[in-house]
Amino acid sequence: MNRMRTILLWSLCFLVIAAGAAFAAEKGGVLRVAVIDEPPTLDQHVVTSDLTTMIAQHIFEGLYTFDSKYSPVPLLVKSEEMKDDGKTAVLTLREGVKFHNGKELDAEDVLASMERWGKFGARGPVLFSNLEKVEATGKYEVTLTFKAPFAPWKNLLAFMNGGPVIYPKDVASGAEKTPITPEQYIGTGPYKFAERNPGRYIKLVRNEEYTARTEAADGYAGKREALFDEIRFIPVPDVGTRVNGVKAGDYDYAEQILGDLFDSLKEDPSVVTTVNQGANQGMMFFNSREGVLKVNSKLRQALQAAVNMEPVLQSAIGPAELWKASGSFMPESTLWYSKAGLDRFSANNPELAKKLAKEAGYNGEKITLMASTSYKFHYDSTLVIVKQLQAAGFNIDHQIYDWATLISKRGDPAQWDIFFTHHGFVPDPILYTFMSESYPGWWITETKRALAAEFAGTLDAAKRKAVWDKIQALVYEEVPVMKTGDHFTYDIYSPKVQGLSASSLIWPKFWGVSFGK
Amino acid sequence: MFSYIARRIGSMIPSLLLASIIVFSFIHLIPGDPAQIMLGDQATPEQVQGLREAMGLDRPLYVQYGRWLSGVVRGDFGTSIFFHQPVLHVILDRAETSVLIAVFSMMLIVLVGVPIGILSAVRYNSRLDQLFSGLSMFFASVPTFWLGLNLMLLFSVMLRWLPTSGFPSILESGEWSNLRYLVLPCITLAAPNSALIIRLTRSSMLDVAKADYVKTARAKGLSEGAVNIRHIFRNSLISVVSALGFTFVALMAGTVVTETVFSLPGIGRLVVESVLRRDYPTIQGIILIIAFLYMVINLLVDLSFALLDPRIRYS
Repeated sequence: MNRMRTILLWSLCFLVIAAGAAFAAEKGGVLRVAVIDEPPTLDQHVVTSDLTTMIAQHIFEGLYTFDSKYSPVPLLVKSEEMKDDGKTAVLTLREGVKFHNGKELDAEDVLASMERWGKFGARGPVLFSNLEKVEATGKYEVTLTFKAPFAPWKNLLAFMNGGPVIYPKDVASGAEKTPITPEQYIGTGPYKFAERNPGRYIKLVRNEEYTARTEAADGYAGKREALFDEIRFIPVPDVGTRVNGVKAGDYDYAEQILGDLFDSLKEDPSVVTTVNQGANQGMMFFNSREGVLKVNSKLRQALQAAVNMEPVLQSAIGPAELWKASGSFMPESTLWYSKAGLDRFSANNPELAKKLAKEAGYNGEKITLMASTSYKFHYDSTLVIVKQLQAAGFNIDHQIYDWATLISKRGDPAQWDIFFTHHGFVPDPILYTFMSESYPGWWITETKRALAAEFAGTLDAAKRKAVWDKIQALVYEEVPVMKTGDHFTYDIYSPKVQGLSASSLIWPKFWGVSFGK
Repeated sequence: MFSYIARRIGSMIPSLLLASIIVFSFIHLIPGDPAQIMLGDQATPEQVQGLREAMGLDRPLYVQYGRWLSGVVRGDFGTSIFFHQPVLHVILDRAETSVLIAVFSMMLIVLVGVPIGILSAVRYNSRLDQLFSGLSMFFASVPTFWLGLNLMLLFSVMLRWLPTSGFPSILESGEWSNLRYLVLPCITLAAPNSALIIRLTRSSMLDVAKADYVKTARAKGLSEGAVNIRHIFRNSLISVVSALGFTFVALMAGTVVTETVFSLPGIGRLVVESVLRRDYPTIQGIILIIAFLYMVINLLVDLSFALLDPRIRYS
């Protein structure tokens, strides 16, 4: 009996030591991530740069986040209570959450951050124009009072990109229009900002005091565990160098690799490919304020009818696994997926285009189409589109600029008729730029306004979806914007990196990721 | 001589002022707004306007220029819009990489280009000359990004001898072993420039070799080696030194392709990225410093002529 007890005891000791050794091996190391550029700032309130979001999400956290199905779930919030038929939301914060400066998060920090985001943030005004007030109604309680029931509020709070992350009160209340400085990069996230060395790297280190949620990790939600000692985001602008760097062991992860290399890298045992789930969408915005396309839906429909998106996507993106000629603005994986108006998408019917153009009174007037060479797929897409439009009899003036020039010119409605850009994945259609009346293109019609108001004020999910169907159908009828399709970027990483999968979220995240055993 | 140097230095001031006015005007004439670029595609017009005001970009151009110039006179080149750091700090940080690349590449260019150029000229039309001519033609015409990526593939991916990219600062870390990061970029830069120096040295020497004083030297019975080195090579050096001087400045300022391929934090990449970001203070600061560097190198090259050719006198 004693012998048995001794064996059991030794076995237990062995298991404990082995488990400890395994954990120790998993934790540690420096993850080197090769990114395409440097972000202008990590101030998540004011910029919508994907690169900023990718890095900043490790440092800053918001009240809500998204799970793997892109449903908003609590992050810094513990619970919520809706009152007054959806006009009041009482949010209770988690207690004991510490900022990187050691201070405990409370409602005053949330209030100051929300107010700054509402005033100067990129997406803040979308929520704040529907809010009557935000108040700190307790040490750990924040109350949002809406002017009328506003359905997308939780999605807006959960969307990290240009979203309402929480800074300490003394940072948020002192910050205005200009981005906060690196000394003020203080969040509650699993990694802390350590250093920015321009041209070389942005360094994050593990937050040893991190208070993680206890639910299982799911998308951006649940338990966040910082396993690396340090993460370095290194700007490597050349795609060939990013690929060679991962192969040579100089980088562990590299983002945004060329479509042309996809097939060979997929077969290469020295790297793992991961396709981004959050599709980008090529979009052509039509000028509703001035020019030949103003208030001329029929001419816009004619342009839409002339185009076949498959060769456009094939030429601009490459392998079929990286694009989808889909006209639905929201992807199939979401509840928002809609077929409304899709019979007009990628019609590939030059004869119909000519007929519609004639009915619209088009007499060969010049149509200026602006695109940028700064994004290769913008330029490549428009090369094919312009050929197709010209073949259907349109007089297209294809103007090519760098991105900075294009976004400057598009602000002046006298200078263009169509411009090409792209839109990233958004969890709520209200965040599409064409839904905004101030975004270049300036789509403002009575029907759109009425539907947009109905969409924002409908709380029932099924009813909201029905309204969205109507809006998508209206987009295909009034054509404020023409979607070219979905395309998926892909990244590569070293096989030694564990915890990542064959597909990544919108912005790859590195908590819960390690170098394995 | 000293009055000549003083005059040349004095003439730099109006030249730099003119350069700064031209750069300032041109960069502001190009469409594009740093506030919009920083905030991103989805920023509201109000948000962009707010940041423009906060950065002082809504002020008249002459006010912006005046403020910048008065800062420069006091040694303050302003603050980078993109990096939120003093421009001088950003430039000096990048200068470490650029200076080291330029110095080591120049050493390679001189050590490879000049001796092979001499050998080609001395062995004019031999098989060796034809071989060097062929090789120099190849390296002069091959694109640097192609050469760089292939060197990276061979020495970094396949052999794993050298790192693919990046350059950790030696000044910060004190690690001289970091120089290994510069081996491939320096070879990439030196290859086409060495080829040009080979061809220039060769053709200059062949030109000088036809001169009467060379024939006289040979007639006096001087050895072939002495004729080649003392009479032909020394007199052909003026054009070679002149080319080397401007190659050095070009290496400091314009190695953008190589810096991009090897992801080096150098001046060339900073210029291009700053233009794309419309980071006005950084662009102005770099251009002013590069213009100054050009003038200094030009002066040094001119002064070296007097050392090489005693007939040249500056007064």
